[in-house]
Order: sequence, then C-alpha cells, then structure tokens
Amino acid sequence: MTGIIASTSCKKELDVKNPNYPTIDQAKTESGIIALASGSVYNNSANNGAGGLGDGYFGTVIGYHELLADNIASTIANGNLNNVNVPDYVILDDGTKISNPSPQKMNLRINNARDRIGTNMFYPEWQSMYALNNACNQLLDLVDGISFSGDVDTKKNTIKAWAYWWKGFAYARLGSVYYAGIINNVTSSTNPNYVTSAALIAESNKNLQTASAILSSINNTATYMSIMGQLIPSFVQTGNGAVPTQQMFIRNINTLEARNLLANIKLTDMTTANWQTLLTLTSAGIGANDNVFEAVSSDINDIFNANGGCVSSLTAGIPATTLFTVSERLIQEFTPGDLRFSKNFIQNEYLNQVGGFTFSTRWELLNAGDTTVNNNNAIVFCDKTPGNQVVYIAGSYEENELMKAEALINTGKIDLGLASVDNVRNYQGAGLAPVSGTGLSLDAAKEELRRERRVALVFRGTAYYDARRWGVIYDISQGGGRTNAVVLGTDGVLNTKAIINYNFLDYWDVPADEVVLNPPAPGSVPVKNPN
Amino acid sequence: MKKNLRRSIFFLLLLLAGSFVCAQTRIVRGIVTSKDNGEPMPGVSVVVKGTSFGTETSEQGKFLLRLTAGANTLVFSYIGYQTVEFPVDTGNNIHIILIPELKQLIDVVVTGTGVATRKARLGISVETVSGTDLAETPQGTIDEGLIGKIPGAQISSVDGTPGATTNIVLRGINTVQGSTSPMILVDGVESGSLDIGSLDPAAVDHIEVVQGAAASTIYGAQGANGVIQIFTKKGQLGKTKVDIASSVSASTYLNISDVHEAHLSSYATNANGKFINSNGDVITLDPYGTYQGVNWAYGADANNPTAMSNPLNIAHQQYGTNLKYYDHFAQLFKTADNYNNSVAISGANNSSDYSFDISNNHQESNIRNNGYTDRTNLTTNLGIELFKGFTVRSITQLVYTKSTINPFFTQGRNNIGAAIMSAPFDNFDQKLPDGTYPGVLGALPGADAGFNPNYVTEYSNAIVNRVTILENIQADYRINKFIDLNAKYGISYGKGEETVIFQNQTENINTTQYSSWIAFYNGNDATGEIDNYNFNNTFQNFIASAVIKTDFKKDFHLNAPIMTSTLIEFDHRKSYDTQLFAYGIGLPIYPIYNFQQTTSQSVFSDQKIPFVTYGYVVNQKIDFGEYGGLAGGFRSDYSSAFGEGSKPFTFPDINAYIRPSSFNFWSKQKLTNIIPEFKLRAAYGEAGIQPGAFDRYPTLIPSNVGSSLVFSLPPAENNANLNVEVSKEFEAGTDIEIKGWSGSWLTDINLSGTYWTRKSSNVIFGISVAPSTGGTTIKTNAIDLASHGVQASATITVYRAKDFNWNFTTNFSNETSEITKVAGPPIILTSGAGDTQEELVAGRKIGQIYGYKALTSLSEKNQEGVPYILPANYGQYTMVDGRVVNIATKGIQFTNELYPLGDPNPKFNTSFINRFDYKTLSFGFQFDWVYGSHLYNQTKEWQYRDGISEDYDKPVDIAGTTAAYTAYYRSAYADVFDARNGGRNGTKDYFYEDASFLRLRNIYIGYDFSKLLNSKVFKRALLTLSGRNILTFTKYTGFDPEVSSGTSNSTFDRGVDDQSMPNIKSYQLGMNLAF
Repeated sequence: MTGIIASTSCKKELDVKNPNYPTIDQAKTESGIIALASGSVYNNSANNGAGGLGDGYFGTVIGYHELLADNIASTIANGNLNNVNVPDYVILDDGTKISNPSPQKMNLRINNARDRIGTNMFYPEWQSMYALNNACNQLLDLVDGISFSGDVDTKKNTIKAWAYWWKGFAYARLGSVYYAGIINNVTSSTNPNYVTSAALIAESNKNLQTASAILSSINNTATYMSIMGQLIPSFVQTGNGAVPTQQMFIRNINTLEARNLLANIKLTDMTTANWQTLLTLTSAGIGANDNVFEAVSSDINDIFNANGGCVSSLTAGIPATTLFTVSERLIQEFTPGDLRFSKNFIQNEYLNQVGGFTFSTRWELLNAGDTTVNNNNAIVFCDKTPGNQVVYIAGSYEENELMKAEALINTGKIDLGLASVDNVRNYQGAGLAPVSGTGLSLDAAKEELRRERRVALVFRGTAYYDARRWGVIYDISQGGGRTNAVVLGTDGVLNTKAIINYNFLDYWDVPADEVVLNPPAPGSVPVKNPN
Repeated sequence: MKKNLRRSIFFLLLLLAGSFVCAQTRIVRGIVTSKDNGEPMPGVSVVVKGTSFGTETSEQGKFLLRLTAGANTLVFSYIGYQTVEFPVDTGNNIHIILIPELKQLIDVVVTGTGVATRKARLGISVETVSGTDLAETPQGTIDEGLIGKIPGAQISSVDGTPGATTNIVLRGINTVQGSTSPMILVDGVESGSLDIGSLDPAAVDHIEVVQGAAASTIYGAQGANGVIQIFTKKGQLGKTKVDIASSVSASTYLNISDVHEAHLSSYATNANGKFINSNGDVITLDPYGTYQGVNWAYGADANNPTAMSNPLNIAHQQYGTNLKYYDHFAQLFKTADNYNNSVAISGANNSSDYSFDISNNHQESNIRNNGYTDRTNLTTNLGIELFKGFTVRSITQLVYTKSTINPFFTQGRNNIGAAIMSAPFDNFDQKLPDGTYPGVLGALPGADAGFNPNYVTEYSNAIVNRVTILENIQADYRINKFIDLNAKYGISYGKGEETVIFQNQTENINTTQYSSWIAFYNGNDATGEIDNYNFNNTFQNFIASAVIKTDFKKDFHLNAPIMTSTLIEFDHRKSYDTQLFAYGIGLPIYPIYNFQQTTSQSVFSDQKIPFVTYGYVVNQKIDFGEYGGLAGGFRSDYSSAFGEGSKPFTFPDINAYIRPSSFNFWSKQKLTNIIPEFKLRAAYGEAGIQPGAFDRYPTLIPSNVGSSLVFSLPPAENNANLNVEVSKEFEAGTDIEIKGWSGSWLTDINLSGTYWTRKSSNVIFGISVAPSTGGTTIKTNAIDLASHGVQASATITVYRAKDFNWNFTTNFSNETSEITKVAGPPIILTSGAGDTQEELVAGRKIGQIYGYKALTSLSEKNQEGVPYILPANYGQYTMVDGRVVNIATKGIQFTNELYPLGDPNPKFNTSFINRFDYKTLSFGFQFDWVYGSHLYNQTKEWQYRDGISEDYDKPVDIAGTTAAYTAYYRSAYADVFDARNGGRNGTKDYFYEDASFLRLRNIYIGYDFSKLLNSKVFKRALLTLSGRNILTFTKYTGFDPEVSSGTSNSTFDRGVDDQSMPNIKSYQLGMNLAF
C-alpha cells in the first residue's frame, strides 16, 4: 500500500549510471578525443591493467626481447623470465657440455595455454599491441564525427596521422615477432582470418604510409604542433622527446619502415634491392636533431615506473637483488676503452646456481652511471631518478644511422658506412677512435657494425630482431649459435671460448588466448611456427 | 514482534479466562525463576496442559491461576528455556525453575517468513542460536562465535589477524564474481554499513539463519547467499538489571605441525666448517647487515642443470660457525593480550522496556610491534507502547573501531611470508650501526629474500578509524485481531579513514645499497609516502508490512481448523558509498607525516557508488489446525543493478509442512509418548544475486598522465544486457522430538534434518574475449552451478537430575557445488596455488586445483596413452614414499600434463557441543570436525624453492642409499617429467594436502559464587575460565589446517595456504557480575 505509492517515484531512482567514469560520449568532443588519443597510447598498466605502452610493455615485452638477445638474464620465475632464454646447451672451455633439460621451444609452447597467461611469453606483446590497434580504430571511428574548433581539417588530420602511426607501430611489432596475425580495422571486434607476419608488416607499412601522406598534407603547422603537444604528455616533451614537426614525424615513419624491412629478412637473404630500399628509407630517416617518440619517467602520474618500469631500471643494481642481470655476452661486445662501458658497468660477481647455466655474471649495471670513478660524457643506460630515464618507443637517430651504415657497407660504401658507425659512437660519447678511414675489410666493417648495434641499441627492443636475422638464435646445425662466448660458470670459473647453442623459436606462435577464442577461419595461414 | 504476539495471546487468554469463570474450583499460586541467574522471570507462559487456558507471570515472576476440575498439569514455557510440565494435583504454592535451552528451541522465528511463526509451523528450515551460546567463549566477534553452531553452515576462521573476517558458506557456491557472504540483518533491517564482525556479541539476544533460496525468497534479488539475522537484547519486565562482564585473555599463534626452517644445509664451507663464497672467502656480515655469497657446495655440472639438483649436495649440520641458526617464528611472533569489558543495564515495565549495552574489545596482534584492533560498541534498545496496540521501538548501534595493524600484516597480505622466506641464518633482530634495521637480509642464490619484518614495522604504520551508526526505528500497530501494520526504517552510516605512512627510508644504508624499500605507490624511490583512504557508506532500508491473520474457528465461527496469515510487504533499500583514495609521495626525514610535507600528490580513486533496489512481497500462509500448513508467494524486485530497462525480477516460493504426530492415529497411540513431535516439510524458492553496481555501464577509464587527464579503453568490458543471477532451491526436511527414557538419561532428543538441492543460473563472470578485439574480458551471464547437501542436528538432553544437567548438540553439514555450464571455452581464474590457474569447466567442482601429479608407478601413461618411462629404463628408477624417483638424479618424477588434483572443500563438517551444569558450576566444550578438506601448501612450496623447508633435513632412502638429498626435495618444486628445473613453482600434488581436522574449538568452566558472597547485591557472580582452539588433530603439515589465503569469502579461491597468518589459541579468564 505505502509501497505502491512509493514505487512510481522510485523507478526514476533506478537509473544510477556510473557517476565516476566518463563514457564514450565524453570522448566525442575535441578535448575528449585528445584525452582518448593520448591516454590509450601512453598508458601505465599500473593504472588500468592492460593495453597500450606502460610498465607492462617497457618492462616485460621489451624485457623478453632483451632476454632472447642475451643482453640480460633473469633467475626469477615470474613471467617465465628465467626459462625463455636458456640455451639448448653450452660447451665450456674444458669441453664440459651442459644441456637444457627443458628446451626453449618446448618450454614456450607448454606455457602457451590460456591458463598460463602469467608465464606465456607469447601473450603480452600480442595483447598490448592489439589493444593499441583497437584504441586507434576507435579514434578513427570517432574523429570524423567530432566538431572541432578552428582549423578542423588540420586537427582531424593530426589525430588521424597519430592513429595510423600507432597502428603502423602495432603491426610492426606484431609482424616482427609473430608467425601469424590478424589485420583488424574494426573497433572492439575481430575476425578469424589469420595472415602471415609478412602481411602484417605490409599492413604496418600501409598504415605508416597513410600517416605519412596525411602529414604531408598538413599546412597549418601551428595547429598541428598544438594538437601534438596535447597528445604527447608534457613530461615527455624534453630533449628530443619534444613534439616532432610534420617533417620529423615523417622521418620517424621512414625509420620504422626501414626497421620493418631489415628486421624481417635474414642477413644472408638480403638482396641488393633490399639494401637499396633500406638506404633510401634511412636517408630520409631520423636525423641527429630530430625529435622522436619516447617515454620518459616521471615522479607521479607516470607512463612507466622510474625505479622498475623499463628493462634498464630492472637491470641496474646489485645483481643478487635485481630482476634482470647483465649478460657476459653483452659486455664482451664492448670495444676496450669504450666510455659507455666504464660509465655504466662495474664488476660485481653473481653466481646463478638455480638454472640458466649461462646466466652468471661478473657485471653490474649502474644506476645513473658511475659518477665517482669513471665520470665521462657517455650515454647513461639507466637513471632511476624520476624524469631522467628515456625509453625509445620506435626508432631513434642511432638506429637509423646504424641501419644506414649497414646499407652502405653492404652496397660497397664501407667507409661511408663506418662513418655512420662513428657518428653513433660520437653521439653516445663512446670516446673511441674513428673506424672510418682505417681501411677495414668488409668482414671487419660488418663486425664493427654488429658490435655497435649490440652496444648502442641495447634496451631498445630491437636486439632480438638482430639476433634472429644474424642467425645466432638458430641451432648450430643450421648455422646458428655462437663461439668464443664469455661464460661465467656456476662454479665461478670464467670461460672465454665457450660455444653456446641457443636454438630459439624465431617467430612466435599466436598465443592460445587468441587461437582458442578466435579459431582460424578456413584460408587462414598456420598459427603455429613449424620450426 | 514477539512481544506483541505475547501480548495478543495474553489478551486472548484473558478473554477465554472470563468464559471459564463459572467453572473454577481452586487457586494455584507460584513463582518462576531462572536457573541462569536465580532471578524471577516475568512473562513466562503458564498454561493448563491440553487447553489454551492459562496466564503469564507478573513483573515479579509470580502467577495466580484458577484451575477447573481435571486440570492437573501446568505447562511453563518461555523463549529460550526448556518447557516444564508440573503436576499440581496437591500443592497450591509452587516454585518453578526454568533451565535455559542449549539451543534450537527459540520457539518463534521471523527470518525467512516475515511473520512471526512458531517453529513447529514452519515449512522451511530456520536455524537459531541464542546469545548465551556466544557468551561463554573467548571470541571477539559474532561470526567467530557462530562457527559450528549452525547445522549446514560452513563458517571458518581463515586468518588469525585481529579483525580478520571469517569465510561463511551457507548451502553451496551460488556465484563466482561475488562472494559467499550472506545478507546480514539486524532487528529486521539490513545492517548496511555495519558488518557482522563489528557487532557486539554481548548485545545479542539471539540469531536466526535461513540458508538458501527456498527460505530467502522474501529477500529477493539479494537473498541467494542466505540471511543471518541478529536480534539485540531487549529489557525484560522486572527490576533494573545491571550486568558487568570483564575478561582478559592471552593468545599465541598456532603451529600445529611444528613448522620450522631447516636446521641443516648443504652450502659450501671450508675445512673449518665456515661458510664460504665462490672465491673461498669466509662469509661475514657486510656493512649493510647482510650475509652475501652463500652457495651450494656443488654447482651445476654436465649432468645437473642447477646446484640444487646436484645429488652431491646433502644436508648436514653446518650452522653455528660463522652463520648461526635463528628461529624466525620466535623472532616474529609474540603472546598477545586481549581484553573485553561490557556493562549492560536493562529493565521494563508494562508499557516500555529499555536496554543499554556498552562494551569494549581490545585485541593485540600476535606479531611483534604490530598494533592492535580496538572496538567499542554502544547498543540501546528502547520500546514503548504509546497507546493500545501501538508500539514504537528504537534500536541504536554505535560502533567505533580503531586498528593500528601494520599494512603488511593485515588479512590476506601474506602475513608470515617474511619469516618463511628468509634464510635460517638471517637475524631479524640484527641492527645496522645507526640502530635501524636492514630490510633486505642475506639473499640465497636465486631467491628473492624475505623482507625483515622489523624493518617493516620500523618504517611503516597504519591507523584505521571507523565509526558506524545504525539507527532502527520501528512502529507496530495492531489495529485489531486481524490486521497488524508494521514499519521499519533503518539507516546506517559508516565513516572510515585509513592513513598509511611509509617513512622516508633513504638514510638506511641497506635500503640504498639494495635499492629496495617498502611502499604501496612510491615505486620511484625510498622517500616514502602517505596514503589516505576515506570510505563512507550510507545505507537505508525501509520496510512496510501488513500482516492479516484470520482464524476461521474463532473469527468466523466456522467449523474448520484453518488459520491464515497474509504478508504484504514493501522493501526499499538504498546504498550510497563514497571512496576517496589519495596519496602523496616523498616524505621528509623529520617525523612530520602529512600531505603538506610530501613532494607530490595524486588521487588514486574517487568513486561514488549509488545502489537502489526495492521490491514487493506477497506471501500467503494457511495452517490447518496443528496438522499442517501451506505457504507460498513471491517477491518482485526492481534494482539499479539489473539489466537494461530495469524490468522487475520476480522470485516465487512455496512450502508446506505436515505434522503426522498431531493426527489422531498418532496422538491417540502410545507413539506420541515416544515421539511427541514429528514434522515433515518441503519448500521450493528462488532468490537472486545482483550484478555489481556498475557492471552494466560501459565506460572509459580516466587517469592522469603528467598534468593531463586522459581516457583509455577498459580491457575488461561491462555489459548492458546483464541479468540477475538466479538460484532455485528445493529443500525437504523433518523435525522430530523423541522422548527418551523416563529416568534421568536421554530424556529428550530433538532431531532435525534437511536435504537441499539448488541450481544457480546466469551466474556472472568476465569471460575472456580474443585479445585481437583490444579487450580481455566481457561480463556475461556465463555460468550455471548446481549444489546439494544435507544439514542435520541433534539436541539431546543426555542427563537430567535435580542438580545436574548434561546437554549435547551435534550439528552436521555436507555440501558440494559443481559447474554445470560454461558459455564458451573454460573460464580461467587465478588462485595462489603454484603456477597453474583454476579453470571453470562444466562437470567439474568449483574451486578445483589443477596440477602435476607425481608418478606412482613405472608404467604410468600420459593423457595420450604414451608411457612416461620405457620398460628398458625401469632400472633407472625406484619408489620413494609411493612416488617414482630417478636413482641418478634423486628427482621425483612428475607428469608434465595437468590433472585436477581435487576439490579442496570439505566432504562434511560437524560439531559436537557439550554442556554440563552442576548447581552453580557449569562446564562445556565444543569440538569441530572438518573432514575431507584440502589445502595447497604453497607456503611449503616456497620454502622448497629455497631449500629452507624443514623437510630438507630428512634423509630419504633412494635405492638403498640414505641421505638428505637437496636434489630430492628441490625436484618437488622444480621438476616436471623430461624437464628438470623446467617446472619451477609448478602446482604439484606433492603440496596438495589433506587438511581435515578435529579441533577443540572452545572449552570453559564457570562458577557462580554469588551464593557464597552471602549478599543480596549480586544476582550472579560468575567466574569463567575458557580456552579457544587449544587442541587440534590433523595430518596437515602447515601451521593451521583452517586457514585460506584466498580473498575473503571468495567463491573459488578457498583451498590455498600461501603464507597465511594462522589462527590463535587463547586462554581467557572472565568475570560476570549481575545485580
């Protein structure tokens, strides 16, 4: 009775909505879409769980790549980190052969199960890159319907270029590591048509070229710079993290296209035409003074945690207590006298007795360089002070210059190529004598380049592509592995002529989470690498 | 409600008495007193046996009755007391002493029926517990006190931290994303902001419990987990009564199986027995307070991938040289003191009653330097009859709780991990030169070292203050004998604030050396932080009801023994939560800790959670004399949490009972002397569980990046089309009273049993979506569950004599829940057991743990039928403890495929409660037996990782060679078949243990020495000595078989012991004075 009277007024009360969070409608304004365009790219996973570029990407995803490239090692079982880069076997100087009782490929595939997300190396990169792709699909869905103020076309085009660039980036990462994938341009949906990694790379290039064409069409630089200045977090906009002009943006695109090419063809399979394309792209790539896409640490409201949100900060510190430790094989690539080495590393022996027979190390990565003993102007790999750590998201000047060097050396312009190597060394303050003009042979020049790539591009997420295209990760019977490796035995004995047979999976299987929930349609390519 | 009922019966009796006036023959007078306290008892029903003629005792406990010829037996009854039949053939001035019931026979219940109903006339099962049952033993909270006392309920004390919540399961698992917690009502309204653990046990009169949908339909879309209703004490007619209770107890942590760290080790030592590093240097305490460089004596070699898998490492006595052995549990734990004090004042006259109760409960943590929880309750219950038939009642609860438990040692934070994970040679009490503690202790190779608990309590602290008020106003108007109108309005408001401080740790040299500090949000550096959590809740519950009762015989003079009662109810609930979580990072070195001192600040969460639901209940009950009855109705609910359009959801119920013992064929036979009561009952009902407040609203996620507010797409998506989860239940049961022997032994036996079966459909969970969509999960009505079980109880008066009584109760519960449908592929859930996750798969039990099984025969095959070991290689293996072990590597052989290891939930749980009364001495004890439960001993598995489990000390015989092989034990942690060291932290049946236990839950002895005082002042002076959890029998090898590390009241994460704080055992001395 009382109730029946009360009920009519009650019904309106029921629609409480969610008063705390904005809905997609709030993203359909100029400020809203900018907030979405920025937030769905720079996205500390600590804030919302998954997706985009944050701790999970810079720490874990790039961490796997650096592990597989034998730049670092880990004894910690979280995320299967301690297993993904255990070689098939090592032969020590005295002939002792230690074998991995659970070979990498088998281990990775045991963990490629839906109930093993936490230890499935195949999962995080797939998940974060498709989340990034989906956010960009959402932006492209919304952007044309939004009423912008002022120069509407430039604003729309800037956001479109932004979206296509990040889609291009997402497909670049996916195509460079997965055996197969999905091309998906529909928001919050998917399709079961799996394509090859080469098709993913083609899709990456297509998106990059779309972005490039849009950028070329923008005339109103001031409006473009203003929108970009809102998309890139303010604390990132220091040094060469500042907003790139349209031309700089296009050069960033060219460098990423160059990487797409170089990373996905075995060195031995590169054709003259490939080298020529590479030369063309890198010649129009990132210059020493160009602004690039970076993430920078911050004291609060960060993209990644200053103390442990990226690979270098997870490596720096007492080896017994850090997530990652420095690999002896990284250290042995430094040329004697390289100031980058003396600034960033000191001796601090750590014996790993719990698996990973190549993981013991004599070296510690310093936080903020050693300012007391070897203070010099070389690049600092790790600086945990908030605001000081720079992480390159896509290409960098050094990467572009070394790709150019490689194209030059392989097209007969050895000395020009070596000059590029010298450029990089100078840029990073290596303090090494120039190698150009020293008359190095082709093989010596290639070796100089190889070592420089390992040193200069460490922690930048490209080292595994190198290890793969150089063939190092393959089985010795297929020309892989490496000799003269420095290995500190678990007993503390130092080996310098060790043979390591990595025998890693080159391109990764599609994660089970995708295959089970989105089974391949007829006509799809295989989702499992036959290797 | 009950009072009104009594009053109406009283009037009725007076009317009837008038009509008998002419037949009077003689007068009987008397007094009724309580065995409990010797006080006169007002309001006791005195009825001539076989008639409805009688009276009630007066304020002074006296009565006067004019008896007709042939009336020779009087029946004295009072709620909560044993009914007494007294022959009055001769004397006419009698003294009756009523004895409190052990339990169960709280005669009239309202929970689940909405209308006060005698238990004898219920078609559903309603359990009752009297407040006196909670009083005798040293528990701080009502829910702890309920353990073992409710047949059918599984209530477990899963964490020994002061203030920790219990896990309550009433009849199976009905949901997945939500919890198993039942709805809590206090005096008829939902308690809202006030959780059961913060209510004052001393203020409880009695508790009613309905467990399943069949009975909780009238609670509609929120009732599927059952309802626990708490009734606070009211003043009783008579003089003002003052009750003072005070107790002190001392508690220690339980370590049933003597868990300790390995006394032996197999580390590298030099010829003098001193521990050395890989360079052969003797290990010393470094300037940072740590021992670095400990290694196993034998490293990895060509045959063994790790040092720990090298069979040459054999544990032997090593500590005592440069490294000592420290008992970390002795260093971590202490004996804690707890105090309880309460004062209650109550009384009543014919038109009003009052009860005031103030109490304080103070519980220290059993972890050193780790604070306490303190709770103060003020409860008042005032009733007044304003005019005839119209009564108003006000019940107020004011609760203040304060907790200073360290944020790292609260419930569910892996409380004792530090002590378990630290190497035995680490000394928690070791200080740095400046007097501070080192945080990072010595690291074992490959292990992340335990963090020094002394560092934690030195640099962090928390204060939680919480004030809750619950005001409940009720008006009841009995218009005439047909209609009773009732309105209740309850409003509760809870305000809590938690401040957590992590001091600036930058001056601690251990911290800077190892770049390792404690913080929740400041992962950047060791400068500390201050966190402030503010949470408020306002909850309103308005219930208006009309009860229409008719009695065809009396009201309409029809010759049909039909009585009807009709309930029409409107129930409106509105909740409003607000939360503001903010933190500031970077505190100064000087000890001023507030937001102004921080270098930057951020808001982590600022949320408002409105929730509105309302519903109508219509229930019709028809009773056919004493023979039986039928009831049915429905509840229709609207809710802000329902799917699109907010359409109502309707839940029907029907129940019936029949009492064969009331039919002539029974009552006229001798059978009635043996079995005076035999009732059969059956009920069907539906009830629901609502989606979460915003589960149906898709949103973006806002966050701050730098100085900008940005949006991102949520990986876990909401779903506008969610429906309520519906649980449908059928129950059938019986209640039987058996008169035993006529002498003193087994005079009275009450049996009650119920079988129930239920199906839950549309259970909500965030099911996985293909990651290429950009998301990870979407909430869906994805799961169906089914459960069934049996609950039973027996209450037996074992022995009854003039000065001695022995009562015995046993409660039994068995239940099992399984998944019957899952939409799409298996749903993956995380639990704390090893590296594998739980899966929800149709046909399997919920809560099942999956893992690798040790091979138990050489010929074992994998799931594809391929043998693990070829017959040619049988010679390489032997059996140890029933498991296949490789003779060369000493490793236990585990499958490399996952199998369900079993359902960790108990097969049954049962309790045995005994109470003995001899004159003014009382003695009692309760045993709880939980059978067939399992725990995944993850605590032990972590200790296996680092070689510091006590098991590593134990020699094993492997094919005739006996030694404490490190490799043998390490294999249980690290190996799966064909992958030595490739199955680290794999979930293994090796660690899945039987956690059945028999526990002496409580034992007490009380002596009332008021008579000795020879004073009229004290009505009672009771001294009680009691103990809780003082004996446990179990095969479980961890600290305590009752713990669970999963989220409190999790539906699926229930069978894991991952560094949980064990329960405590305590001894209490209490004094209770009444005057």
